[in-house]
Formats: sequence, structure tokens, C-alpha cells
Amino acid sequence: MNAIEVKSLRKVYSSGIRQKEVVALQSLDLTVDPGVIYGLLGPNGAGKTTLIKILLGITHKTLGEANILGEDISNYQIRKKVGYLAENHKYPPFMKGEEILHFFAQLGGYDKPDLDQRINDLLKLVDMEKWRKTKLKNYSKGMLQRIGLAQALVNDPELVFLDEPTDGVDPLGRKEIRDIIKRMKDDGKTVFLNSHLLSEVELICDRVAVLNKGELITEGTVGELTSDNDEYKITLDSPLEEEFKQKATGSFAGLKCNRTKIIFSTKDSSELNSLIDLIRREEKQIMEITKQKRTLEDSFLEIITGKEGKNGDV
Amino acid sequence: MGMYNIYHVTKFTIKEAFARRIILVFAGVSTFSLVILALLLFSTDAMDLVGAFDMKTRVDGQLVDVKTELATGIKALFTIPLYGIGLFLSIFAVSGFIPSLLEKGNIDLFLSKPIARAELILGKFFGGTAVVFLNIFYIVVGIWVLLGLGLNVWSADFLLVSFTITFTFMVLYTLIILVGILTRSSILAMMLSYLFFFVLSPILESRGSFSQFLGETWNMVIEILYYIIPQTTELGRISLELATGTTPESLLPLLYNSIILILTISSSIIIFNKKDF
Ligand SMILES: Nc1ncnc2c1ncn2[C@@H]1O[C@H](COP(=O)(O)OP(=O)(O)OP(=O)(O)O)[C@@H](O)[C@H]1O
Ligand SMILES: [Mg+2]
Repeated sequence: MNAIEVKSLRKVYSSGIRQKEVVALQSLDLTVDPGVIYGLLGPNGAGKTTLIKILLGITHKTLGEANILGEDISNYQIRKKVGYLAENHKYPPFMKGEEILHFFAQLGGYDKPDLDQRINDLLKLVDMEKWRKTKLKNYSKGMLQRIGLAQALVNDPELVFLDEPTDGVDPLGRKEIRDIIKRMKDDGKTVFLNSHLLSEVELICDRVAVLNKGELITEGTVGELTSDNDEYKITLDSPLEEEFKQKATGSFAGLKCNRTKIIFSTKDSSELNSLIDLIRREEKQIMEITKQKRTLEDSFLEIITGKEGKNGDV
Repeated sequence: MGMYNIYHVTKFTIKEAFARRIILVFAGVSTFSLVILALLLFSTDAMDLVGAFDMKTRVDGQLVDVKTELATGIKALFTIPLYGIGLFLSIFAVSGFIPSLLEKGNIDLFLSKPIARAELILGKFFGGTAVVFLNIFYIVVGIWVLLGLGLNVWSADFLLVSFTITFTFMVLYTLIILVGILTRSSILAMMLSYLFFFVLSPILESRGSFSQFLGETWNMVIEILYYIIPQTTELGRISLELATGTTPESLLPLLYNSIILILTISSSIIIFNKKDF
């Protein structure tokens, strides 16, 4: 059984008096295995939130099929096993932290007798014990995010959707949230995560998908997305002559020069060594060679801008 | 499952209502009125006055108990503002329920739970109704007990007034829910129910008094409007009749309003079910 299975999912919003149409999802196919942390990336307006909302019955699909935990999404009872932290969530301000957890656990169909203990544990987990008796209208943004995360976990879900979970949280808090997400995975839960913070996604996600303009552009493990080529930065002591630049770019593909730096991306270390030989033959002084690991952000930017370029050509 | 969901949302809505001061204002006004009534009934001067009339008088050849008459007057005196001001405050109190539920970031949370959208709306409906009923019941029972103790008049008919006024509220509340779902505006929902309650329904109810000045088409339009707009004025009249111990002229408005209530809440649910958030 897949945690999430989406086939040819399409969403067209029509809003306003003139029924202006926005295609939020084109025809999306996506499968998420159980027990993984899955990251969904994409620029603003790509359709990430829309996908989660359709899976949770908040928005209706236009076409296609979607299952969560082996059940069609139209069966709302399946949401007993699902947790959700919405982006820009707005919890009832007149309730106290612990009341929120209580209420949404009940509404979430949690009927085991250990609820009070569970709420205590969760408040401890998100470091909100001190504020449990404070009304939400007096919470800071990061505190709301923490209580939201506890809420998403309160009915012990098998599948958790987190839409920008670290939004508004300080760096220490972000680390704590990452640890909590990792713990969810250790507990066997599936986590589906939307985030703009690619460095974070890189740290915790097993698989990622990139969505742009409602289309799935690529999908794979973080390793697969980042390990195309390694990038080396070679810093020289003096400015490069035009002649050398031409020679170097002529002999090595994937090489870029600026005044005193050469940036070379390759999979092959013997290529790197030939480049160094060339530099040394020209009697240039190498000050520093650094290997730069490609980050998810690099790949992401390349994928998105690459795609835009292609669209532009058509 | 279904019943439990409605129950949880109802409870939540009651809490939400008390978080809004207006319900407390209502309760405060009610308490204040009861205190005034108690002072009137139990201050010795006033009772001496009544005592002086403690006899049967003959009106139109019938024996009339002055105390009963006085109690009836007091009931009418309280029922009219309870109906007018009480419903005014109640509408004010609940008009924000649906718009605040539908706020971005809040509705997502509710809909992501294993709850049918209809259950959510029904929970809001019952929650608002429960709060208003409690308030109305409180003042009606209060008046009834005071009149019983003070004047020894214990006619249970008066208690029914709390149900008819609550029923009037329910009809208007379905309208507030519908407008709330369609526009997400509490102001619009409130204004429209005030328009129906204070303006249109009274005018349509008294259509007999001006029909002779209108053409056939207009009279037809008005007749149609009369049946599709909540007949709250008729419900007010029934409340007053119950308060004063007269047998209601016609109970048909209860039927018409029930139909309007059911139709409005059903269309609210159907529209809500189709919405994207
Ligand atoms: N309720 C709605 N009505 C109409 N259009 C909508 C609605 N919600 C989203 N859209 C549109 O659908 C598209 C996708 O929006 P969505 O919120 O899914 O993007 P996102 O990937 O989550 O963006 P972000 O990173 O900014 O959160 C956008 O063009 C947006 O304007
Ligand atoms: Mg989003």
C-alpha cells in the first residue's frame, strides 16, 4: 500500500465574477511510499499547497484519481489517520494551547483513553508546556507553529502533511522541528513536506519532487538530484589572460573562468588533474582548490530556470 | 461518528459564543431585567398596591382576577423586548460564526479532520441555537418563577415562549449561515437578517392593509414574497399570544417557517459541499 498515490490529477480553479481560470495542477502523477519523508519543492504558486488540500478534501479535484493510505480521498474517514499542519494556519484564538489539542484530537476521531498523557507528551515535545494554559491570541508566530505541529500529531497519524512547518520559527526551533520530523519517521510515520528551505529539505527528506506551474519536473532521492557533477573552484594568484581562458574552455567542457577563478564541474577526477596540469604548464600559481558539493538549491535553481528557458523557446 | 462530530462542533461553537462578549451582554441585560422585576414584585409598596386590588372585578359581565391580569401585562411587557432586543443581540452574536469558520487557515484545519462538511454546518447551527436558547430560557423561566412567587400565577404556557422565540432565531440563523457561506461577510449576513426581521416580514405580514393600493401584479409579487421570506412577525405574534394566554390564531406560520428553515440549511450544506478552500 502506498501512503499517497496520485494519478493524472488536475486542478483548475475558477474564481471571481468573470470565472477566471487558473490551472494549479496540470496532470500530476506521484507516488509516495510509506515510512519516508517526502519533500515537495517548487516556486510560489507551483501548486504544492493545492495538492495537499486536494488530498485532504479541502479543495476538490477537477480530474484524476487520488488515494491516501490505500483509500480514495472521497472517503473522509481515512483522515482519522492523517495529520496536517496548514500553511498560514489560523487556530481559534479564544482557546488555550491544550484545549486546541484536546478539541482537534476529538474531532480527529482519537478515542483512546491515553489522550491526556499524549497531550502532555506532545506539549513537551514541541516545548510548549509553559504555554499550555495561555490563549492562542497571545502566542507568537513560532509558538503557533509549535502548537500547530503538536496538533498535527495529536491523533497519532500514519501520514502527516506539513506545509512550511518551519515558517516563522527561529533557527534553534527549526532544528528542533527537524528532529521531531525525523522522529516521526522513526515511529514509522510517512511525512509529506512542503518547503522553500531547500537546505532543510536536503537535511531530512528521503525523496523529493519538484513542481513548477502545476507540473512535476523531476522526482528522486536527494542524492539523485544533487550528485550529477561535482564542482571544483580553483583560485589563482594572478588574473587570467584571454588566451588562456580560450584554451581552457576549448579543452574542457563544463568550465567557466572569471578574473582569477576557474570553476570546473566534472564527475571525473582525472579530468580535474589534466586541468591542473594545464594550469601548471602555464606556470600559474594555484592558491586554493575547493570541491563544492552541489546543493539541492543549485539543482533546484537549475531545474526551474532550465525549464523556464525551454518553455520560453516553445 | 457523525453524531459525535456534530456534538464536538456544537460544544466548540458554544465556547466560541462565550468568547464573544455579546452573549454576556445578553445575559447581563436579562439578569438586570429580572432584578428590576423582582424589586417591583417584592418591594412592599408595590405589593400593597396590588394587595389593594386583590379581588375579583367584573369586566363585561365576567369575573377577572386582577393578579392574573397584572401577570399577563408583565409577560407581554417582557415578551416584546425579549423578541426584539433578544433576537437583535442573538443575530449580532452569531453572525460571525460562519465567516470566522471559513477564514483562510482555519477552515483547512476543520476540513482536514474526518468530518463531513454537513456535520460542520450542523454543529455550528446547533451550537448557536443552544447558546441563544439558554439565554432566552433563562429569562423566560426567571420571569415565570418571579411571577409565580410574587403573584401566584403559574401558567406554563408562558414557558413555551422560549421555544417560539428560539425557533424564530433558528429560522434567521439558517439565513445567516447561507449568506455567510456565500459571502463570508458577517456584516452582510447580519444586515440581511435585520432587514428580513425588522422590515420585510412586518411589511409583508400587514400586506392586507395596503393591497388595495397596488395592482394585481404587485399583489402577486408580494404574496409570493410573503411565502418565501421567513414569516418572523407571525412567530412574534404567536409568542405574544402564548405569553398572554390566548390561543394562537393559527399555527400555520410554524409550518411555513419550518419549511424555509429546512430548505435554507439544506442549500447551505449543498453550496458548502461544493466550495474550494
Ligand atoms: N482558492 C483558490 N482560488 C483560486 N485560485 C487559487 C486558490 N488557491 C490557489 N490558487 C492558485 O493556484 C495556484 C497554485 O497555488 P498554491 O497555493 O497551490 O501554490 P504553492 O505551490 O503552495 O505556492 P507557495 O509556495 O506560495 O505556497 C496559484 O496560481 C494560486 O493563485
Ligand atoms: Mg503553499
